[in-house]
Amino acid sequence: MKTVLKTSALLGCVILVSGCVESFEGTTRATGNVPVRAVGEDFGRDSGSLSRLQAGIYIDPDGCHIWMIDDGLEGYWSRRRDPVSGLPVCTAVAPPNSIIGDITSGSDFPDRVPRSANR
Amino acid sequence: MTKMSGMATRLLGGAAIVATALWMAPHPVQAQNSAGVSGRVQPGLWIDPDGCMHWVADGGVEGYMEGRVNPHNGMPVCLDVNTCAVANSDVLFHTDSARLTHAGRAHLEQFFRSAGAFAYAIYGHTDSRASDEYNMRLSQRRAASVANVARGVGARVAREIGYGERRPAAPNNSAANMQKNRRVEIVCYR
Repeated sequence: MKTVLKTSALLGCVILVSGCVESFEGTTRATGNVPVRAVGEDFGRDSGSLSRLQAGIYIDPDGCHIWMIDDGLEGYWSRRRDPVSGLPVCTAVAPPNSIIGDITSGSDFPDRVPRSANR
Repeated sequence: MTKMSGMATRLLGGAAIVATALWMAPHPVQAQNSAGVSGRVQPGLWIDPDGCMHWVADGGVEGYMEGRVNPHNGMPVCLDVNTCAVANSDVLFHTDSARLTHAGRAHLEQFFRSAGAFAYAIYGHTDSRASDEYNMRLSQRRAASVANVARGVGARVAREIGYGERRPAAPNNSAANMQKNRRVEIVCYR
């Protein structure tokens, strides 16, 4: 019982620390009249230009594709549109709500998922 | 080697577009009274595997992303990465007809057998001679002919659309340009 407690406390610590590192490194309180709220760089633990991100595909409930990226503490998604017609891409590569491919951009940041949906 | 130089051209093209965007955009504070402006964003550009651009910004512990669009027509802004094939209509079809030539059919069958995409979008276009209505019908029938070849070899067709003369690749002011506009574009959904 004690070991279990220790282990889980340690795990919690590790997760907390990685979270802290990201939130301390590279972020600050918004100051001034017109603060810059967001930039095209990640200055956190997995820093770098955001143009390097690699996306997977999330199939939305209507069956249409959305590029999805999990970049550590931040998540991004944006609709896939046909470059010629501009129409959404809705081919049935997988059932709705599936994710295809790797959305983590090779990040080693431990991903957290919602507890309520993963019991 | 060709692939490399193609990649370089694409990247250069991307850089040029970004530079233009920055140059054209009026500074938000200068453009109007700054009252009401509560913050600013300096987004980056993320380019998806189809070549289309998305504005992306990291807000510290939040992320933001939205597809970049052309303000005039709402179309996505894309580099030329994922047009799997552009076939000239003069080679594919008999004049003023949606009937495929022997060579055109063979070329398409070979293409759809080897391209390996999950599905295809097929778009027919004409030059600006004849009426808009006629061209819409002709391009629609031509897209349908190409789609039938795709299905014939077991490929999945996601959509087949004729745009007539409404989406020219070049101005219709010379014989060479008009030939460029008589085309069928195939987009691969991988």
